[in-house]
Amino acid sequence: MKVINHIKEIRQKRGITQVKLAEDLQITRQTVNAIEKNKYNPSLELALKLIKYFDVPIEELFYLEDSKGE
Amino acid sequence: MNNRKIFYIVWAFLIGCILFGGFLGIYTIGKATGEYSYELAIPVIGGTVIGSLFIMLFSRWKKKRNGNVPQIDERTYIMLQRYFMIVLYVVLVGSGAALIILYSIGVRTIETGILIVCMMGLYMSIIFGAFVAKRL
Repeated sequence: MKVINHIKEIRQKRGITQVKLAEDLQITRQTVNAIEKNKYNPSLELALKLIKYFDVPIEELFYLEDSKGE
Repeated sequence: MNNRKIFYIVWAFLIGCILFGGFLGIYTIGKATGEYSYELAIPVIGGTVIGSLFIMLFSRWKKKRNGNVPQIDERTYIMLQRYFMIVLYVVLVGSGAALIILYSIGVRTIETGILIVCMMGLYMSIIFGAFVAKRL
């Protein structure tokens, strides 16, 4: 099962650039891009950092592909 | 030990290796020809200094452009891990295969000079590949 995320939508809604997000979370811009395109699943540490950064519940940021409709 | 200290130690080690390689080259040429041409030390030192300056200026420009974005992160480690794992098997199998092919076509001895050139090519391609893997 693939992990899907809403990082791009939430980031764009808040007007945050990829570079700003990378700078704030101390990750590379390529990693931000890879996560947003669902090509890379962040580590638990980075996932928790993302949740804290956007201040949203985990299920709003990450979900499994087949649980989309639930 | 803080990151800055490690950075300077690694930097000094790399420059030391480059200079040592250059001087070793001068010594090897001198030993082979019987005449030590010390004027070759000028391009060795000059090249090292210019190369180091270029890299320093380039990294400063990059830092100015990208702000406080780090060069490496958790994904970079994973990418490099995968890359070096592939490199390990390619080099192991590839060098074995190359030896078998050479033996089968009748080559019985290998000159160390040719080995040095082959190893240099191998190292350069591995390092270039590592930079590509880091940027992916």
